[in-house]
Amino acid sequence: MPASIVAQMAISGALMGLVYALIAYGFQLTYATSKSINFGQGELVMVSAFFSLTLLDLGLSYWLVLPAGLLFGAALGLVVERAAVRLALEQKSEGWILLTIILGLFFFSAAENIWGRDDRPFPTPIPSESFHVFGVDVTPLELSVAVGVLAVMGLIELLKRKTLLGKAFEAVSVDRDAGELMGISAKRTVMLSYALSGTVAALAGILVSPITTVGPTMASALVLKAFSVAVVAGLDSGFGVVLVGMFLGALETLASFYVGSGWREAPGLVLLILALAVRPTGVFGKAAIRKV
Amino acid sequence: MLKRLLLVRGAELLLFVSLAALPLAVRSPYALGLLTLLAIYGILLIGLDVTVGYLGQVNLAQAAFLGLGAYTAAIVVTHSGLGLVGALVIAPSVCFVLGALLALPALRLEGPQFALATLSFTALATTALNELEWLTQGAQGFSLSRPPLLGHALGARDFYWLCMALLAMVWIAMRNLLSSQWGRAFEALRDSPIATDAMGVGTYRHKVAAFAFGSGLGGLAGALYAFNFQYLQPQSFVYELTVILLLGVVLGGRKSLWGAFVGATLVALLPNLLSNRTLFQAFSALGLAVALAAGARGLVRRTMRPFQAIAPVVATLTLVLGGLVVENTEDWRKAIFALMLFSVVVGLPEGLMGFATRFLAQLLRIAPPTLPPASPLDAVLPARPADGAVLLELRDLRRHFGGVKAVDGVSLSVRAGHVHGLIGPNGSGKSTLVNVVSGLYTPTSGVALLRGSALPQGSLVRVARAGVARTFQNLQLFTGLTALENVMVALTGVYRAPLPFVLLGLGRAEDRRARADALALLELVGLGDEARTPAKDLTYGAQRFLEIARALARKPEVLILDEPAAGLAHPDVVKQVEIIRRIRQRGVTIVLIEHHMDVVTQLCDVVTALDGGKLIAEGTPDEVKRHPKVIEAYLGNVGDVATEPAPPAAGARIS
Repeated sequence: MPASIVAQMAISGALMGLVYALIAYGFQLTYATSKSINFGQGELVMVSAFFSLTLLDLGLSYWLVLPAGLLFGAALGLVVERAAVRLALEQKSEGWILLTIILGLFFFSAAENIWGRDDRPFPTPIPSESFHVFGVDVTPLELSVAVGVLAVMGLIELLKRKTLLGKAFEAVSVDRDAGELMGISAKRTVMLSYALSGTVAALAGILVSPITTVGPTMASALVLKAFSVAVVAGLDSGFGVVLVGMFLGALETLASFYVGSGWREAPGLVLLILALAVRPTGVFGKAAIRKV
Repeated sequence: MLKRLLLVRGAELLLFVSLAALPLAVRSPYALGLLTLLAIYGILLIGLDVTVGYLGQVNLAQAAFLGLGAYTAAIVVTHSGLGLVGALVIAPSVCFVLGALLALPALRLEGPQFALATLSFTALATTALNELEWLTQGAQGFSLSRPPLLGHALGARDFYWLCMALLAMVWIAMRNLLSSQWGRAFEALRDSPIATDAMGVGTYRHKVAAFAFGSGLGGLAGALYAFNFQYLQPQSFVYELTVILLLGVVLGGRKSLWGAFVGATLVALLPNLLSNRTLFQAFSALGLAVALAAGARGLVRRTMRPFQAIAPVVATLTLVLGGLVVENTEDWRKAIFALMLFSVVVGLPEGLMGFATRFLAQLLRIAPPTLPPASPLDAVLPARPADGAVLLELRDLRRHFGGVKAVDGVSLSVRAGHVHGLIGPNGSGKSTLVNVVSGLYTPTSGVALLRGSALPQGSLVRVARAGVARTFQNLQLFTGLTALENVMVALTGVYRAPLPFVLLGLGRAEDRRARADALALLELVGLGDEARTPAKDLTYGAQRFLEIARALARKPEVLILDEPAAGLAHPDVVKQVEIIRRIRQRGVTIVLIEHHMDVVTQLCDVVTALDGGKLIAEGTPDEVKRHPKVIEAYLGNVGDVATEPAPPAAGARIS
């Protein structure tokens, strides 16, 4: 096996891994403000992708569909927050785990019936002919995924650090009650985080669809790996998800080549269980001191 | 009492007798197939309820254990001569072991992380079943034939009876287990893992045991599943099934065998319900009516938030309208299931059976079981000699958090029979010191000795078992358990029956004894009349008293009370002082952290004052109160202004 082919696979895998990182980033956003994540996040990715595809079919240009899809994702995020998360948070229970699963099931079934069970191609203006850099082949499509992921994550992090709204976001993340006492509405901050998380999910759907095609089950494998990435990196690790995402992407491409394509999912799952066992707060997460 | 026994056991008997008699009347093979499936799902969901209901964790691995059990059984009967009985023993055993292995890493996890770990396990199991083709024949599926039972070929009806017999056995065994100390420990674990450890119960083995048990039942159900369908495919055991199973438990009602059974019925019958349009419309209309009635009642009585009342109505209304519009309801199976569940989870969090049992208990006036008379206190908490010898000794104990020296070289001796006060301003290191001694934190350096031998470090359970019990400044009660059960969980020296005996129902005598002993301790703290009140419904003062009764159930040599009077109203402070006096009379040595100076003065033989993690004064309460360093620590440097500063007035709260 020449080293160049190994490098080729690792790089393609790592670029794909950025999509996992993006979805994992969506988990981080809501976990920061409310210690909750949407177990139906994969369905948001998928439904947003289908919605965007419908707009494309109606003849809208890709560059108009993109913002519309992101808005749609934000709206879905708000629906999840209102229907599945807010009540459980008010009751300080973990009911949101069940409720987000239920909502995901509903979205899945709705998508199956509205758009059908078949996988459909997703047209894109970005060319897919590969070009050669540093001895490996890369397609503009793959690069667009990388650019989109890093740009959006960077933008959101910048907003969090530089704007007043962002400071409020960070304040609620650190201490919800203290934030409320300072006049920040924790409820709105949680809503904002779910809207952002939905936006990020929609972006992941739009970016990855041209590569994977669109179908009801398109995100079930994606989201499982995003869970792995989020947990292995740590649910409060910030950019840690990028590194872990790329690592996992590369690892699974190599695993599917050396062990067999059916085992493609295995490294992420094993990694997740191991990480939870060895370091539940994640590789880049902060270990908390138990207080009583 | 008799009425309760008759009704509860009578209902169970009636259920199983009618289920066993049904095939005599129903001849259709299709209906028999459904009933068999119902029994299999019943076992599966009872297993799932152990983690979901009792441990309170979202477990997404049950479908995987069903699959692993099914494949194990299939492989055993196909490749070995062990037959049906062998498969029914091996499949649950394999799943029990795998469940224990998964629980070992998952054991440190809570909430979402636990759910994710189990979700990954399900995905991993599906991958393995698909890819290990030499063993499972992969995606093409595994065919097997149902082996005879001890030489008798099993027809469909015989097999149904076998499944029902196993369901009945599982039902009885689980009832015995869950009403024993094990069941209480599972629930305690859910409410407060820290207190479960601090009461010497041990979260570790109970969590692993609960999960392994549930998984083992999944394996048993899997074996029956394999013999029922006689054809297995990895795709049958994926995420979707695991979600539906989970939702079945929640819909039926958590922490209830009946709930698991109702959930199993729904899961098994749902496809039929959906294939008949009229039936579905009637059903959804009924749902809407219930949601409207319950929502209106909840809003009028203000027992529900608006969202809780309105959301189920919206969901069921969607079902009704959908039933009119949609052509093929079966295509929308998952969405319908999701809407039903959404209504139940939001509007009826205790599930159908939780609601029904509460309703029936009121309707039929079923009294809770009577309590036995309390044991004599001398039998529960024998008086210890208060010889004044050094009992607990700390030698140069330190605990640093990064640069913060929370405890910085504290040495002190607590004598047997004393009440030893520990005072100091906020942040002086009292609580950290207690947390180090009780094993919550590992000391950075130094040792704690009990009767001259070193206490275990960094393990709440082992310190508790060594004879040091504690209470918590921020209450850590098992809120879902009654006051009596809170004490029973912590009770030591009573539970001796090994697990198999408990499953067979042979642990009831010691449970009665535990009840009587716990009642004696409740009476000691004045809560004898509140024995059946759930801990979360007790007044704040009563909760503080209950924490002490629970810690006493450890029969400790040293009892550490972390601010037992914090936040109490004056009459309760008086009661609390009286309780601590009574405990001291039993010869229990007490370490008392307290801010109320009058409490300290009234109770303590010796007081140690801390500041900045260091010991600054020690002596009788009066000596310490007058000590210049203590006054400086509380009031700042008074310096030359007052050469003889007045001691804080009795009753003044210094903090």
